[in-house]
Amino acid sequence: MTPQHDTHFRAVENLIYEWARAIDEDRVEAIADLLVPEGRYTVKSRFNHDRDLPMAIIDSRSAAQLRDRIKSMRIANIYEPHHYRHIVSGVQIVGEENGVLQVRSNYLVVRTMTLDGDMKIFSTGQCQDEVVITAEGPKFKQRLFLYDSRIIETLLVIPI
Amino acid sequence: MSTANTSCHEAVMHGPISHKTPRTWPAEGYTRAPYWAYTDPDIYAQEQAKIFRGKTWNYVGLEAEVPEVGSFKTTYIGEQSVVLTRAEDGSLHVVVNRCAHRGNMLCRDAFGKVKKLYCVYHAWNYNLKGDLTHAAFSHGLRGEGGLPKDFQLSEHGLHKLRVATFCGLVFASFSDEVEPLEDWLGDVAQGIRRVLHKPLKVLGYDTQRIHANWKAYHENPRDSYHANILHTFYGTFGLSRQSQESGMTLDKSGRHVYFYTKAGTEKKSEDFDKTSAALRSVNDAMKLEDPSILKWRDEFGDGVSVQVLTTYPSFVLHQIANSLATRQLIPRGVGESDLVWTYFGFADDDDATTQTRLVQANLAGSAGMISVEDAAVCEMMQRAMADGQSGESFIEMGGKTLESGGNTKLSERAIRNFWHNYRLDMGIDLDTDLDLA
Repeated sequence: MTPQHDTHFRAVENLIYEWARAIDEDRVEAIADLLVPEGRYTVKSRFNHDRDLPMAIIDSRSAAQLRDRIKSMRIANIYEPHHYRHIVSGVQIVGEENGVLQVRSNYLVVRTMTLDGDMKIFSTGQCQDEVVITAEGPKFKQRLFLYDSRIIETLLVIPI
Repeated sequence: MSTANTSCHEAVMHGPISHKTPRTWPAEGYTRAPYWAYTDPDIYAQEQAKIFRGKTWNYVGLEAEVPEVGSFKTTYIGEQSVVLTRAEDGSLHVVVNRCAHRGNMLCRDAFGKVKKLYCVYHAWNYNLKGDLTHAAFSHGLRGEGGLPKDFQLSEHGLHKLRVATFCGLVFASFSDEVEPLEDWLGDVAQGIRRVLHKPLKVLGYDTQRIHANWKAYHENPRDSYHANILHTFYGTFGLSRQSQESGMTLDKSGRHVYFYTKAGTEKKSEDFDKTSAALRSVNDAMKLEDPSILKWRDEFGDGVSVQVLTTYPSFVLHQIANSLATRQLIPRGVGESDLVWTYFGFADDDDATTQTRLVQANLAGSAGMISVEDAAVCEMMQRAMADGQSGESFIEMGGKTLESGGNTKLSERAIRNFWHNYRLDMGIDLDTDLDLA
């Protein structure tokens, strides 16, 4: 790890954990504050990514679009009540260009259904993130979740 | 252990009890669908033969997915894995993905490019049309072994399906009797022609695994009644409201349907105002901070903002603003289905148009802000049906006949027509117990 990476490692790791904990604790709105205003949050299958196909099931191209998606989840969309648990591992800063840190991590999301208690591995894959250091600390310029399976179990309404 | 428990235990041990369950279709006919039709494994097994391998055309992909000689796509018709290929002369072929020798699966990749189809088990080789060209050691070695003298390569090709294309869509059929594809589509063909008017470019895939019987999903896009009620997003942002100019077209047989809505054509009426005030789908609290996602262009020049088209038994084509996609329904057992969304644009789209389509891909599919509800409702229905041994759905919105309801979207006419065709294909007569023993 270069000295530059070493300087920011704990803060970047913490940023990734903050995102996961906000969702798991049902404070989903808070993740939009971890994105710079012009940042991008994308959830895309590895299947599409490996074939250079651009389509992503979630592609919020600003913090405002992410807030709109969360608002839609809260007041418009219908789904069976459930919650997530994120397991995050392997956080690494793998590069830096013009002040943008390239970060990789693995994620696993277990979904628990509220009514019957069914638990399932809902999604697992790699995060390919770009992080910038702002006056308020590190923030995501881009969060890209590449999920490994080509299928989504039923629906993805709570952001991962 | 109580006596009751003992006898119950013995019934299970010494069964068979499965065909003692009621399987009488309600006397009302196609205005009712008994819940056992969604839960019974025997019914499911018959559907594979009588519907998916029966007299139907099933969507298998886009011509654009197999653009070159040797391109292939592995997909499903019903539960059967099939392969779509493009041969040296440019022709398209669909074969069962199973070696004619001992049944091993030939293609294990979703897409690819090959010179031939090859079985790894005993090196049986097939050309891109599915003809057997070579079987390893067919003449034996040093006069021993080998296939019988009367073995003919030409008699051991892959199981070939009928193939037909329409506007870049590829359909296949196990049936020699089903009418030509365009005749089968009838008046619904014009809804396809309207959207798919030039060469396509695939943008990506999304597959939803829905824990519900395939019919619970198939009914959903035929159901224009629910769209503006369940999906809050539609009504709130004016993409599709019941007060707008809209309509529905069925083919003569009632197998296929499409409906459309024209945004910005609201007609005020007192009864609409009264009803919509009570709908949860019209939600004034739902204002978008960044409404650019809903900015759409009338690219077909007819004002239609949403068109959803369904062909029996497993295909949907949607235009939601500028988002275009096919949906392929793949049953995976009586209570599970995959819905494969293929998003596309046109080959000559500029980058701005492609970006619009990609942004609007947020609206539908497994994470779709408009329609994430559909899969949830299918699963909740399946769970509420429980073992399916009691209850039936009531399908009389718009009337009780195959014609009633006309072209209004406030109608379940297309669902009645589905069950009518389903019962014909399954050989289910009114008031007659099914013989499934």
